[in-house]
Amino acid sequence: MKHDKIGTQVKLPMGRAVQIAVQGIRIRLGRSMVTVSGVVLGIAFLMSNVAGQLISDALSRERETRQIVTLMEALVRNEVGTAAGKTLAVTVHGDLERTERLFMERVAKMPFAAVRVSGANIDRGVSATPQNVAEGAYLLLVLGQQQNIPVDLETLISGMNHVGVLDAVANRTYAGQAPRAGVKRDLLFGKETQEQMERMREHAAQARFRTVWVAIISLLVTIISISNALLMSVTERIREIGTMKCLGALSAFIRRMFLIESAFIGFAGSLAGMVLGALIPLIIYGWIFGFGLMFGEISFVRFGVACLGCVVVGTLLAMIAAIYPANFAARMVPASALRSNV
Amino acid sequence: MAFERELFFKDADAAARSGYVIRAVDVRKVYRMGDTETHALRGATVDIIRGEYLSIMGPSGSGKSTLFNMIGGLDKPTAGKVYIDQVDIAQLDPFELAWLRCRKVGYIFQSYNLIQVMSCIENVMLPMAFAGLDGEESREKALMILERVGLGGRALHKPAEMSGGQQQRVAIARALANTPDILLADEPTANLDLRTGEEIIKLFRTLCDELGVTVITATHDLKMLKTSDRIMWIEDGLISKITTPEEMELHIDEIH
Repeated sequence: MKHDKIGTQVKLPMGRAVQIAVQGIRIRLGRSMVTVSGVVLGIAFLMSNVAGQLISDALSRERETRQIVTLMEALVRNEVGTAAGKTLAVTVHGDLERTERLFMERVAKMPFAAVRVSGANIDRGVSATPQNVAEGAYLLLVLGQQQNIPVDLETLISGMNHVGVLDAVANRTYAGQAPRAGVKRDLLFGKETQEQMERMREHAAQARFRTVWVAIISLLVTIISISNALLMSVTERIREIGTMKCLGALSAFIRRMFLIESAFIGFAGSLAGMVLGALIPLIIYGWIFGFGLMFGEISFVRFGVACLGCVVVGTLLAMIAAIYPANFAARMVPASALRSNV
Repeated sequence: MAFERELFFKDADAAARSGYVIRAVDVRKVYRMGDTETHALRGATVDIIRGEYLSIMGPSGSGKSTLFNMIGGLDKPTAGKVYIDQVDIAQLDPFELAWLRCRKVGYIFQSYNLIQVMSCIENVMLPMAFAGLDGEESREKALMILERVGLGGRALHKPAEMSGGQQQRVAIARALANTPDILLADEPTANLDLRTGEEIIKLFRTLCDELGVTVITATHDLKMLKTSDRIMWIEDGLISKITTPEEMELHIDEIH
């Protein structure tokens, strides 16, 4: 110690700072709620925009999926004519897409005499090997996401009654294999279909860009709304900070106290804002378009990430917004802080 | 009693024995607002004796609040030195300065500066918390101090529910929380009616006599002047004279 008569102020432990900050929120509950509602509004705005984008993406994807399934079913009906008395063969390589699953469900309901299946389980299907699956079949469906089927298609179709092959994987073509007389290939994915798929991918990319853009704009609005709420709540207490310094509070303690307080306020506000901002678009879109259509293609992982992101962003923003005024007030000499008339 | 006090403070040896609790040497303060400079203090030198009751007297704008802030370590002088207990407070690091404000000096303000959202007892317990004291111990001590200033029964009231005089008593209790050596009061009775102001002044006198606290008040309340041991007159940023209340009365008589 440099001076025998002057001691050094004790640094209060973290627990005490948390205690004082929580007490501060509790005893000025009304004012804290105003600040919290500022954060709630900001985060609800951000969350509802992001959630709305995710939902409308999911809706348009779901609509496309249903269009594709209907298109594929129509092609099968067109090729087969009456299904009665005919055998259908289905060979699955790799995982099934949702589109393919929905398509299979539809096809399984058609009145085929028999369905021979390899690599998957289909209602009323008869198990076969990948090599003999097409034997005696009228139409062969090649499904699954695996790009290269391990069986030679020529050998497969040689055992068929009428040769029709329908491949649901977008980019698969059989170029290089000489078509036999009467062989119909690429039923679904002719040039037109390819173009349609291309357009859909473009739409998806545009939608993603729109999502990012809306998120950025909402984030900016949220930053301003939250900073304003926290800036006001700290600035109007500069006199109080001056008083606390007169009573022996260390600048670091004041900074820490406000940081903890704003973290609590930010967390509570963003949690409420997130729930509000997620529920409102879910309910509204669900009401308008039907919940089945909405939940069909929605990515729960992306939705969850958006929820978590909003809470983290809200809490961090509140803390960052409080740092500047708290720092400013903590560094003021007590006399000027007491003179402050904000 | 009054006679003894007078003797005590006129005796230079006694003053030296008791020591100076605060010394301000040629303190200057310039406030800059854009291009204009305001010289609030233009070289104030004062020695404050341990255990005395000193009033700082002067018209508004004379620099008495500025001097009050300087000797209390609430502001930094532009030039000059302030010693509290022989320590130059400009040399103190933030931790020592906070310790000084927490335990050495108790501050009382014209507008009370209570924390409105906290109850009386919470206000009094706050400086104790900053000193590292908490829990039941600080609650008991705060209650004891509140009783001492005559507010034992109102510990759980909020400042807004109390009269100005009561609020000022809470502020005094808060200033006493860590048993300071020095009580600094900036126009403590300016917002109070005559009778309440008198009660507060009596309380200061009692604290000074019984606890040996050095009381320094900036004021232009004449009753406060009569109760104090010495009166320091400040005019236009300079200390013009230091008198005793008796000399002041003589002075006023002369004018009449």
